[in-house]
Amino acid sequence: MKRRSLPLAARTVFATGLVGVLVGSVFVVMLLAVSALREAERREARSRDVTVSTLALEKLVLDMQAGVRGFVITGDKRFQTPLITAQRELPQALDELQRLVAESPSQRKRVRLLGQEIRDYRDVYAIPIVNIAETNRAAAGSPAAVAEDKRLIDSIRMKFSHLLDAEEGLASQSAQSADERWTAALVLGIGGLIALAAAMLAFGVYLARSIARPVREVAGAATRLADGHLEERLNEGGPGEIGDLTRAFNAMAENLQRSRQELEAQNEQLRESERMKSELVSIVSHELRTPLASVLGFTSLLLTRDFDEETRHRYLGIIDAQARRLGALIDDFLDARRLEQGRLELGRDRVEVAPLLREQAELFRGQSERHRLTVEVPRKPLAVRGDRDRLAQVIGNLLSNAIKYSPEGGVVELVGEDDDGVIRVAVRDQGVGIPDDQQSQIFTRFFRGDAAASGIGGTGLGLAVSREIVEAHGGRIGFNSAEREGSTFWVELPAADRRKKENG
Amino acid sequence: MTRARTILICEDEPALRELIRVSVGGGFEFIEASDGVEALELAKTQNPDVVVLDLMIPGLSGLDVLAQLRQEESGREVPVIVISAWSDARDESFAAGADRFVLKPFVPDDLRAVVEELVA
Repeated sequence: MKRRSLPLAARTVFATGLVGVLVGSVFVVMLLAVSALREAERREARSRDVTVSTLALEKLVLDMQAGVRGFVITGDKRFQTPLITAQRELPQALDELQRLVAESPSQRKRVRLLGQEIRDYRDVYAIPIVNIAETNRAAAGSPAAVAEDKRLIDSIRMKFSHLLDAEEGLASQSAQSADERWTAALVLGIGGLIALAAAMLAFGVYLARSIARPVREVAGAATRLADGHLEERLNEGGPGEIGDLTRAFNAMAENLQRSRQELEAQNEQLRESERMKSELVSIVSHELRTPLASVLGFTSLLLTRDFDEETRHRYLGIIDAQARRLGALIDDFLDARRLEQGRLELGRDRVEVAPLLREQAELFRGQSERHRLTVEVPRKPLAVRGDRDRLAQVIGNLLSNAIKYSPEGGVVELVGEDDDGVIRVAVRDQGVGIPDDQQSQIFTRFFRGDAAASGIGGTGLGLAVSREIVEAHGGRIGFNSAEREGSTFWVELPAADRRKKENG
Repeated sequence: MTRARTILICEDEPALRELIRVSVGGGFEFIEASDGVEALELAKTQNPDVVVLDLMIPGLSGLDVLAQLRQEESGREVPVIVISAWSDARDESFAAGADRFVLKPFVPDDLRAVVEELVA
């Protein structure tokens, strides 16, 4: 996953914020509903006040009418008291009502008109009638005057009735709207709570999935890792910190696995080198004991028995050759050690290859009756630059191997040629060949393949030393081989006359 | 008339073959093999009186030669002297049917004594 995803912390904060907003919204809706309810309650209370005030006002008016009627009929001054009281209290009662309905323009208008009519009744009818009645009660009590009174009061009462109806209508409207808002708030609130619960559940599931599950996976993987399953890996990815965790875990497992592989490889190397060391001890003791047996044996014969001059001389020759062989073996070991330490010193002389090949072939001809050694070189000189003794050692090693590994005998061909500035020497035998599975180890020090088991002597150093020598000369060494068909080992070295040839 | 005793020498190093021959000395006839296959063939066909067998020989190893020889009717009884540079090979050699074990390098007179003991 290339793109780094939003960190878990940020996601958690975001989700928590979302839940908070949801909770806040639900709270606000509930608050609004409650406030609407309170408003409706207040409105209802005021409606009650309006009703009470209206009824009080109506009573004043009716008292006033009763006072007027009583006085006109009886002439009793006592009936004037409610009229006076009404007259005195009327403005205040009207103001009170006016104040209570101040919020509703239609009611305000009704109250204003009502007030006008009541004042008209008082100023244009009641007071004049009372005045008339003081002098002429009959006129004041005439049917026309009574009818007028009834008309005015009916009109006023109608207006009172309208006012009360309207007020009741307003109150019930307000109560209804408050009811609706409350229902809506309940629906919204409950819906919000359900949504909130769902959101929190979803968030919980999300947390479980994005944190708990990966953490459990990491814990499981860590346990398996601890049990030694170092190949354990996690799916990289996951949000933010989880992604970091899985990546870090995998890097750790990778390192652990690599370290263990390195340790195992080192261990294997140690075991291998231990095995080689013990093999080396066996090889050295055997390889040294064989020539030593000849040296000691013939020396003992010469010391204890009588032989003629010629025989004595031949035995001394054998002793000499075997002692030299011992020396050569020791040189081989020292060479191997020098090569190991990179302290091989080489001459830089011009070396003619053809005579070198003939000399070596001659040396080995004496060693085996079953093998026929042939040397094939071109007429023109083959020259390389290097250390003659070391190159002789390489050719000697290859010839010795060719003879050793063709126990049935046969032809060993030694071919030298100039391949366009590269001097190539090949040693071809008709021997046992090298099995495919051993070919890669042929140049490894002390590696001897099946040689020991098949009774073929040697130190396992020859090819390793030869390769070091050839490579130190800037050349290459290699082979082609098929099991039971024989092997061809070749050496390629840069020609000494290369530049001269190019110029000429 | 006693015929000369025959000794089969199985050894790939010419110098050591000569050393064994000279060490054992006169009074014996020698036949020689330089690899395991030849050694087994000669041991079966020539009826030697003693076999001197080097363990490190090409072809068949000395131990294989010995084991196969002991399977044969003709080779079951012949005394075999194993010669080896490996002192570790002593037990294996006796297990495979060797009569004597001689460690390389050996003293010529000692080898002669062992051979004479076996043909007596």
